[in-house]
Amino acid sequence: MKKLLLLVLIVALAGVVGAAQAKLTIFADDTRTPLLRDLGAQFTADTGVEVEVVEYAWNDLRSAYVTSTQAGEGPDIVIGAHDWLGEYVANGLVEPIDLGKKAADFSQAALEAFTVNGQLYGMPYASENLALVYDKALVPTPPRTWDELLAICRAVTDPEKPLYGLAFQNQAGNFYQFFPFLSAGGGYIFGYDDKGAVNPCDVGIATDGAIFGATLYQSMLDEGLIPSGVDWDTLNALVEGHNAAMYITGPWLIDAIKKAGIDYGITQIPPIKGPNGAYNVPKVFTGVQGFMVNSFSENKTIAMDFLMNYIGTTDTMVALMNLGNRAPAYLPAVAQAGPDILAFSQQAAFGVPMPSIPAMASVWQEGGNALDLINNGTDPATALKQAQDLILTAVDCK
Amino acid sequence: MRSQSPLHLSVKIILLGVLDAAVVWAGVGLATQAAYALLSLLLLGATGLNIAILSRRAYPLRYLLPGLVFLVGMVVYPILYNIYISFTNLQTGNLLQKSQVVQLLDGRYAPAPDETTYTYQAYLNDKNDLLLLLTDEQGNHFLSRGESLEALAPDDPRFVTQDGSVGLDVAGYQPVTGAGIYQLLPRLEALAIPTDGLYLRLSGVRQFRTAIKQYRYDPKADRLVDLETGVSYTPVDGRFTSADGKAIEPGFQTWVGLRNFVTIFSSAAIGKDFLRVFLWTVVWATLSVFFSFSLGLSFALLLNDRTLRLRLVYRTLLLVPYVMPVFISAFVWRGMFNENFGIFNRILGDLFNVQVPWLTNAMWARASLIIINVWLTFPYMMLISLGALQSIPDQLYEAARVDGAGAWRRFWTVTLPLLMISLAPLLIGAFAFAFNNFTLIYLVTAGRPAVLGAATPAGATDILISWTYRISFQGGSGNNYGLASAISILIFFMIATISAIGFRMSRHLEEVYG
Repeated sequence: MKKLLLLVLIVALAGVVGAAQAKLTIFADDTRTPLLRDLGAQFTADTGVEVEVVEYAWNDLRSAYVTSTQAGEGPDIVIGAHDWLGEYVANGLVEPIDLGKKAADFSQAALEAFTVNGQLYGMPYASENLALVYDKALVPTPPRTWDELLAICRAVTDPEKPLYGLAFQNQAGNFYQFFPFLSAGGGYIFGYDDKGAVNPCDVGIATDGAIFGATLYQSMLDEGLIPSGVDWDTLNALVEGHNAAMYITGPWLIDAIKKAGIDYGITQIPPIKGPNGAYNVPKVFTGVQGFMVNSFSENKTIAMDFLMNYIGTTDTMVALMNLGNRAPAYLPAVAQAGPDILAFSQQAAFGVPMPSIPAMASVWQEGGNALDLINNGTDPATALKQAQDLILTAVDCK
Repeated sequence: MRSQSPLHLSVKIILLGVLDAAVVWAGVGLATQAAYALLSLLLLGATGLNIAILSRRAYPLRYLLPGLVFLVGMVVYPILYNIYISFTNLQTGNLLQKSQVVQLLDGRYAPAPDETTYTYQAYLNDKNDLLLLLTDEQGNHFLSRGESLEALAPDDPRFVTQDGSVGLDVAGYQPVTGAGIYQLLPRLEALAIPTDGLYLRLSGVRQFRTAIKQYRYDPKADRLVDLETGVSYTPVDGRFTSADGKAIEPGFQTWVGLRNFVTIFSSAAIGKDFLRVFLWTVVWATLSVFFSFSLGLSFALLLNDRTLRLRLVYRTLLLVPYVMPVFISAFVWRGMFNENFGIFNRILGDLFNVQVPWLTNAMWARASLIIINVWLTFPYMMLISLGALQSIPDQLYEAARVDGAGAWRRFWTVTLPLLMISLAPLLIGAFAFAFNNFTLIYLVTAGRPAVLGAATPAGATDILISWTYRISFQGGSGNNYGLASAISILIFFMIATISAIGFRMSRHLEEVYG
C-alpha cells in the first residue's frame, strides 16, 4: 500500500511536457565563452530571455554540434569555421540567414566564405590566413621577391647552430601550410563549372605550376634551408630558440614569437618567378569564423535578434578581434585593428577561402600524403599526380 | 539462511523503495522522450533486482544483476547498434532520421515574390489562447488566432483607437507588452497563417511577412511535393528523388542491406592495399607481444629472486611506463624520435654522425612503433609473469636439478610450459589488443609515412583499424559510418578466428602439461 502511494506521487510529479520555451543556447569555444556570457547577461536583462553558453574546446566543437543536433538536443547558435559548412549544409544542420542591410558592414570575402549554393549560412566575425613573419635581427629588410628570400636563406642558414632560413609546419599531412607553394604557379584545389559552382571533379593540385612550386620546395628542403618534420611543438621550439630567420605562419604563433623576444615583422609571402618568367604571388587559404544558426532551433527569431543587435556591433566585434588576434570581418571594427592584424590582412588580399564542400576531406588526406612523399624525396610530379588520382577516385569522379 | 532481524529487513525495504522510486522517475522521463530501448532495459534490470532481493532463492544473484545490466547496456547494445549501422547508409549527407528531414523540408518557406510586411500586436487570455492584430503597409487591419486571417473593417466593435494607436478590445484578452513578446516568440515562430495562397511567417521580432511554402509532405503516399513546380519526390535510397533523378538535400539514413559489404569486397582499391596492411597488422601484433613478453618475463625472473636487495624499488620503477597515460607517452616518444630535433638523433649525430629517419622511413617507423609499444606494455607482462611464476611448485625445480638440468634447460622445460598454461589466454588477449591498437598508431605516426602507389589512404604503418578510420572519416566525402561499421565487423571476424586458433593451441598445452 505504501509503495503504491509512493508510485502515484512519483508519477504525478514527473512527466513535464516540454513546450517550446524562449531560451537561447550557444555552443562556443573556451576563448569566446566569457564574452558571450557577458553579452548573454545583457540580453537577459534587456529581454528577459535566458541565455546559456556551453563551452567546448575548439577541436571538439565541430563534432559536438553534429552529434547533439542529430539527437535533437542541439544549441540555437554555434561558433564555427566556414569549412565546417560543407558537412553541416550537406546534413541540413544549419539555417540560411539574412543579414539584410547589415550585410554591407561585412567584408565581401568573409560573406562569400559563409555562402553555400548562393545562401548565407552564418554571420562571420574573423578571418585568418598565413603570411611571412620574419626576425628583424636576422632579416633587416623583408624580401620582395622569392629570389631575395632564397638569397637571405642561403646567407643565414647554418646547420651547426642550428639556424634555418625559412620554417613552417611541413610535417606530413599539413597540406594547409603547403598550399602557398602549389598555388604560386597556378595550382588550385577545385575549379568552377559554368554556373559558378564549385566543381569537385576539376582538381588542380597537379598542374605544371603546382609541380613547379613543389619542386622548388623540395630543392630548398634538400639544400637544408627549410627544416623537415616540423610540427606545432617543433615550431614553437624553433621560435623559442630563435632557430629560424623567417616563418610562414598565421596569427596563432604571434604570442609565442612575442614571448620569445623576437623583434618581428609581418609581410606578404614574396612572389615566385615561374618558368615562363612571370611573377606569381603565392595564394594562402583563408579561414573565416562566424556564428551559425541551427536549422532545428525553435528560437531562430531570438537567435537572429541576438546576432544582429548584440554580436553585430562594433564593440562586440572589436572585443572578438582582441580576444583572438584575428582580422575582423566586420568592416567598422577594422579601424581599431592593430598593425599585426592589418599586416596579415594584406596577405589576405591574395587569399582563397578553403573550399567547404565535403569532398575537401579527400584533399586534406591525399594532399597531406603527397607532402609526406615529397618530404621523403619522391619526385613531386609523381606524388602530386597520385594525390590527384586518389582524390578523383574517392569523390567518385572517375 | 537464518531469518533476518527487523533492522536488516527494514533497511532492505527502505533502500529497495528508494531504488524503485528512482527507477519510476527515470522511467517516466525516458517514456516522455520516447527512449524505449533504454526504458525496457531499465525496467528489466529493476524488475530483476527486485526479484533478486525479495525472493529467497534468487538472493545470490543480487550482485550479479547490476553488472549484467551494465554489460548489456554498455557493451552488448553498442555492438548490436554497430552491426545495425553497417547495414545502413549512415554518412555525411545521410545523417538525420527521415522524420527530421521531413520536418526540415516541410518547414521551408521562401520569401514571396512581392512580399508584404505586417506589424503585429499580440494578446493572450488566461487560458493562453493567442489573438493577433496584424496591420499591413497600407494600414489594413486583420485578426488572427493563428489558423486563419480575418479582415477587420474600421468600424468593427472589437477594434479600438486610443490616442492615435490601434488595439483590440476582446473580452478576457490582455495585450502582451515589453519582455513578454520575447517569451511568445517561439510560439509565433511556429505559426504559418494561410492567406490567399501564401503564408504569413514571423520575420524578425516585430513583423510577419508573406512567404511561399516550398514543399508539402504527404504521409500516406510518402511523397514530398514541390509546391512551385508540382514535381513530386519519393524517398529513394535515403534521398527524396524525383522521377528524372533530381534529389533534394539533405538525405536521411536508411537501410541498404549488404551494400557496404559489397563495396568492400568489390573495391579494387581496397583489395590492392588490404594484403599489405593486414600483413603489417599481424606482424605488428605478434612482434609487440613477443618482445614485450620476453622483456617482461626476463624482469619477472630477475625480480623473483627473494634474495635480491631493493626488489620492491625496482618493481615499482619498472611499473612506471604502464601507469603513464598513453596520450602523454606517445607524444613524448614522438618528440624524441623527431628526425631533426629529437634527442635520439642528437645523441647519434654527436657520437656517430648518423641521422636515423625514425618516423619518416617506412621500416624505421615500424621499428619505432614496436619499440614504443614494448616500452608501454612490458610492465603488464612482468606483473602477470610474476604472478604466474608463484604457481610453479619448487619440487619440480628440485627434481630437475637432481636430474642434472642446467638453468636454461630448467627454464625451457619446466618454467615456460607451466607458465604458458596460465598466460596463454592473456597473451592472446594482448595480441588482440595490439591488433586493434588505434590510439598508439594514430598518435605517433597517424599511419604515415605515405606509400607511393597506394590506391587508398594506407600508409606504411597503418594497421587495419587506423586504415578503416582513414578511409571512412578522412577520405571520400565526409564521414562514412556505415562503411566503417562494416569493415570493423570484418576485422572482428579476423581477430575472432586468430584468437580461436590460439585458444585451441593453448588448450592443447593444458592436456599435455596440466
